[in-house]
Amino acid sequence: MSSRIVNLNTNPCKMCMPLGAVNAFYGIARCMSLLHGSQGCSTYIRRHMATHYHEPVDIASSSLTEEGTVFGGERNLIRGLDNLIALYRPEVVAVATTCLAETIGEDVQAAVRARRESRPDCRTTVITVSTAGYSGTRYEGWFRALHALVSQTAMDPAPHAGVNVVTGPVSPADTRALKRLLREAGLTFTLLPDISDNLDGGCGGTYSRLPEGGTPLAAIARTAGARATLELATFVPEDASPGRLLEQQYGVPLFRLNLPVGLRDTDAFLTALEELGGTIPAGEYEERARYLDAMVDAHKHNALGRAAVFGEPDLVYGLTRLCCENGLLPAVAAGGADCPALKTALEEEIRPLAENTPSARFSVLNFADFDDIEAAVAENDVNLLIGSSDGRRAAHKHNIPLVRCAFPVHDHLGGQRIRVLGYAGAMRLLDAFANALIGSREASFRTEIYNRHCGGKPFGLFPERLDTGCAEPGSPDARAGALRAVPEKKDGKPGPSVVPAAARAVAGKHREAAVNNADKSATHPCFSASAARTCARIHLPVAPDCNIVCNYCVRGFSCPNENRPGVTAEVLTPPEALERFLRVRERMPALTVAGIAGPGDALANFAATTETLRLIRREDPDITFCLSTNGLLLPLYAAQLADLGVSHVTVTVNAADPAVGARIYRRATYMGMSFQGEAAAAMLISNQLAGLRLLTDAGIVCKANIVLIKGINEDHVEDVVRAVKSAGASVANIMQMIPVRGSAFEHLPLISNREHAALRRRCEKLLPQMHHCRQCRADAAGLLDEDQSYMLRGPVPASGAAPAAEAGCAAEAERAPAQVAVAPRNEVTEHAPVKVAVASRSGIVVDQHFGAAGQFHIYESDGLSTRLLETRRVGGNNLGCGMCGRGPLPEGPEDAEQGGGKIARALEAVADCRIVVVMRIGDSPSRRLAERGIAVFSTYDGIDKAVMDAVLARRDNIVAERARDAETV
Amino acid sequence: MYAQVLEERKDSIRVAADAAPIRCGADSVSGAVSQRACVYSGARVVLNPITDAFHIVHGPIGCAAYTWDIRGSLSSGSELYRNSFSTDLQEKDVVFGGAEKLAAAVDEVMRVYAPALIFIYCTCIVGVIGDDVEAVCRNAERRYGNRVVAVKAPGFSGNKAAGYRLAGDALMRILMPHRHQPKSEGVNILGDYNLAGEMWIIKQYMREIGVPVVSTFTGDASYASLVRAPSARLNIVQCAGSMVHLAQRMEQELGTPWIKASFFGVEDTGTAIRRAADLAGSAETRRRAAEFTRRESERTVRLLAPYKARLAGRKAAVFVGGGFKAVSLVRQFRELGMETVMVGTQNGRPEEYEVLGCLVAPDTVILDDANPAELERFLREKGADILVGGVKERPLAYKLGIAFCDHNHERKHALAGYEGAKNFAAEVNLSVNSPVWRHVRARPAPGEKTSSFPSTSSKFSARPALGEKSGEAHARQAGAAECGVFREAGRNRAPASTAAAKTLERGVAALAYFRDEQ
Repeated sequence: MSSRIVNLNTNPCKMCMPLGAVNAFYGIARCMSLLHGSQGCSTYIRRHMATHYHEPVDIASSSLTEEGTVFGGERNLIRGLDNLIALYRPEVVAVATTCLAETIGEDVQAAVRARRESRPDCRTTVITVSTAGYSGTRYEGWFRALHALVSQTAMDPAPHAGVNVVTGPVSPADTRALKRLLREAGLTFTLLPDISDNLDGGCGGTYSRLPEGGTPLAAIARTAGARATLELATFVPEDASPGRLLEQQYGVPLFRLNLPVGLRDTDAFLTALEELGGTIPAGEYEERARYLDAMVDAHKHNALGRAAVFGEPDLVYGLTRLCCENGLLPAVAAGGADCPALKTALEEEIRPLAENTPSARFSVLNFADFDDIEAAVAENDVNLLIGSSDGRRAAHKHNIPLVRCAFPVHDHLGGQRIRVLGYAGAMRLLDAFANALIGSREASFRTEIYNRHCGGKPFGLFPERLDTGCAEPGSPDARAGALRAVPEKKDGKPGPSVVPAAARAVAGKHREAAVNNADKSATHPCFSASAARTCARIHLPVAPDCNIVCNYCVRGFSCPNENRPGVTAEVLTPPEALERFLRVRERMPALTVAGIAGPGDALANFAATTETLRLIRREDPDITFCLSTNGLLLPLYAAQLADLGVSHVTVTVNAADPAVGARIYRRATYMGMSFQGEAAAAMLISNQLAGLRLLTDAGIVCKANIVLIKGINEDHVEDVVRAVKSAGASVANIMQMIPVRGSAFEHLPLISNREHAALRRRCEKLLPQMHHCRQCRADAAGLLDEDQSYMLRGPVPASGAAPAAEAGCAAEAERAPAQVAVAPRNEVTEHAPVKVAVASRSGIVVDQHFGAAGQFHIYESDGLSTRLLETRRVGGNNLGCGMCGRGPLPEGPEDAEQGGGKIARALEAVADCRIVVVMRIGDSPSRRLAERGIAVFSTYDGIDKAVMDAVLARRDNIVAERARDAETV
Repeated sequence: MYAQVLEERKDSIRVAADAAPIRCGADSVSGAVSQRACVYSGARVVLNPITDAFHIVHGPIGCAAYTWDIRGSLSSGSELYRNSFSTDLQEKDVVFGGAEKLAAAVDEVMRVYAPALIFIYCTCIVGVIGDDVEAVCRNAERRYGNRVVAVKAPGFSGNKAAGYRLAGDALMRILMPHRHQPKSEGVNILGDYNLAGEMWIIKQYMREIGVPVVSTFTGDASYASLVRAPSARLNIVQCAGSMVHLAQRMEQELGTPWIKASFFGVEDTGTAIRRAADLAGSAETRRRAAEFTRRESERTVRLLAPYKARLAGRKAAVFVGGGFKAVSLVRQFRELGMETVMVGTQNGRPEEYEVLGCLVAPDTVILDDANPAELERFLREKGADILVGGVKERPLAYKLGIAFCDHNHERKHALAGYEGAKNFAAEVNLSVNSPVWRHVRARPAPGEKTSSFPSTSSKFSARPALGEKSGEAHARQAGAAECGVFREAGRNRAPASTAAAKTLERGVAALAYFRDEQ
């Protein structure tokens, strides 16, 4: 997507505030979150977190309804708190607001206060935080949650030796690593927050719904007395910084450090620990040395990388710094949130490296969506993506590897185990980056070098950029990548004279075909006047739809006596068309041409057209294929027509000037867009002419049909002939318009034969004319002058023993139950098909009581197969006919009436059936059915099985009964 | 310890034998941690698969961020629907109104993409801040001559089912101008979203029996394909929950009758295909349908047999969005010889619960709009071997040591049709019979009293002692673990085969061995 829309966020690179808040609250012990808003927020956020962390994520919602939204949600909130506390017995409940609650102006604190006063025994602490989705992103939501915790917890300011450590959104595994480091450094500390256990728990032990891990509230209370606060985040808004709050209110010194990602920031972090009295564990020195070793090992690979780093502020900054210290150029660094400070910091970080690299470019984006990022990726020849799994589509589209190291990771496992912090985290990242670069180079270098030096190109063409290992833009590998990537289709783009490359490529390939096709004209009744007397054609009406509306046209589907284009007795499916073709061929040895001429447009029904031609070609390799079309879709399909073996095409071109065309065409629908007036005409005309050119280039013989409309285009016809001639048409056919009732031109005068002939003569000088056109039907068959299509109409005997209409009538006759006499017992032999009434609402399983059934599905079955005949509403009114689909198949509210009347009507509805299949039935109706000789079968099976079982069971009964009768006799 | 059930929730939980009807269709209980989604979600699910439509979420970023390309609907044409477009309302927009930004966005979209159809989803706050979105749509339609349809779906205005209705109404607005079309021989397929190509599978079946498909709602649909829908003679409604409303309106206003059909499971798939042939085809079509379904179902049943042998007797639990799907699943489990011990839905309807009640054993638990605490409780209480559900339920099942079948919109394999029936059995089997459960369900590892962390018994892994090969030691370990499974309270199931019995024996021996070691 290169064209960018500024008023829309296209594919967001950020998430909302409430997610950040509940995510952070998952790092507090025995804490549950409740989102004050509508149900969806909590569900979406739960889903988003569950697929990343692969842990159960329970977040309550106050489930605001319309009423709560209008009259205030306090009641919902209080009840929600009560329920949540009853279900989970949490120590803390954190209430985060959503867009909705903030916009309707909920006073959450007041509600919580009111609840506390009315429930003095409740021990649960309730923390509230304001997180409107539109006021920030997950990053701000996270810190606001921590800020709220610190500001609303009753503090114990007694001084102690502990240290507070505040982190932004980092993974559970990183949190664990951080904890271990702090422990090994000999520091006592409080982590804010600590999601290490709650969002990455074990399996096999006892599962606890309530998150038991994390930082307890008691520990948070003591943060006020800590020796210092370390805030491992650089871009925290001051008013959401828990460290700043502790400093201002309780005098706890605040040290703000970058998130310890990469060498420099981990060094700084360890130094800070040392300054706070910690000892750096010996293992860290070893890890550091190994990381340095890894940096050296990987540096040449990294130097060929051009990364795009995207995501949340601290992490983007940390990853960018890690890339820079390894010589891996962050060619794109993008923050999804609006954070100008980040932009400045990133630019300062990247610039020195870029200046050190010849021909290096980079861009830094603020408030970016993936539309921006993808554009920058393309512009800066990025060959490595670093961020969350939201980059997967860009990765796929641009064929660039993606290293997933940030929330969310939806498409891979291990989101909870991402490691980026410390030397060990840096080492993992470094390996991942370098290996991704090595992988794509490995996959491409052979082809690339072969193509450059051995693929027939002259010597000396090496890629101009020496400083990257990525495929030269425009090199075969890059192109292959571009092709592999799914191209973004721009639907609905009006494309007059759009000529697809594929269509152009075909032209020229068919020189030979041109000669053969021209030969075939000799036996084509429309292209050769002499052939018209000896050669027959068949029009197969497989194309009902049309994509333009002409003022002279009315398509008809059932007018056996009309004789004009656009009329057919019926529309055939491709297999039916094949059958008709074969039948006609048998009957008419002179058949030389099979054509598709509507009743709509052959190309607007391209699938049917293609299938028909393929089917016929399989049976008949020699028959001439001919199509007629309005030409709108020719630029798209010309090449395929040639491949299908179409040798002749007629394009109806009524105007060459859009102004004239606008009076003839009412509408054109192209690529899902509807065009009118001159726009429609202009597009149609340019596609017709471009299409004619493509067809004739492919060797197809083309005829232009021109409908002569008095007062509209009579003076314009010569121009049209000139235009189609220059586009390659070899013959023109000027036809008189037939005024059709119901069309817009119904009342236009007919052009006289004399005028018509004179015009043809004038045009003859420009282009050969067809004089013998009979303006045939869309289902014409035979010689031009002897249409035999009437003999072919009606159902194809082999397949259509029961045409819909007849069966419909039959079904209709059976409709009135009253007229059907109750059949005496044993009247039918056991093997004859019987009618079965099924009480079912779903129509799939037997799921209704006899008395409660609002409708019965009437089946016919012989015990081997079943067939749905119709659906009857109890009470007799409005019975849908199953056979022809006429009339409704109702699923209305049940009859409110109870008792005998209803049962009587149900009995009446099934009176002509031999079996009733129900889920349940009362004694009395069961008896009454038996009296009428109707067997009852109770089940809750699928209908098909139930019906067959019932028929077989009845049969067994009859047989058994007869045997009994015989015995007694 | 089992969770208590909230007083307000008690009427939404029943066992099948209960006489009293289940309470369903009510608003979710505040604070109960419902698994339900919202109105917007329902509307988006239904409309999103229209591939060449431009789906704009008017509101703050969250709703768009969480619905970006998360479903597995496939397209044979445009990929436009896989993008997320949002007006990303900021604080100032909330104060001064977002309609202008929206109108400007629509102008831009028309300039750059010129789509035939734009949907504008209004999320929670749009109604509250009073943006006149209808006016934006009207103006745009007048100006550009395309369709711009507002879907006013604030989350608080109901549940997901309300969103389905809104989507149905939006679709009707698109169809109405095209209502005067001659009826053709074809049918529409409603309620399939072409997850993992399921719509294509259904269309293949229709092609096989010679019933043309006119439009699909909305799997792999385009604007051009949708507007042909009024010409169909019959609507076949698959996922009944989401499409009944549209089907009813099409019946009333376009005169298109409809039937429900299920393409889940061998039996239902066969019925659905034959039903389509009965109502929309000739005698020849019916013959082909009978022949085709007989052949395919025989083949599939043959393929299912080995799975059935491994699954029969295991216990299933179901928690899905709609009742129709739940019914299908219970029946599919029956096809595999499995009994359903717990079944619940987010948005089931009374009649669907009634059917469920008849399908399952009398003591099966039935739940409406359950929460994680209830699911946990009944999964454990009923000893389920597998849960079928959506993304949110999966981690819970895993934590409880229960297998899981993903019946959600993200899956990448078809569960519909004959192919889907086979995939379903394969998926159930691969999870239920995975070796991992033997290990994770084991109680304290050999040599451990309290911890469930086996590697602390270093003697175990470090020493394949007594001249045994390490492989044998491993087998012992597995046996011991399996023994744990069999000994677990409430799991006194007899070993399924003699091989398992042997493993059990070996496990007991191994346990004794380790006790001696200690």
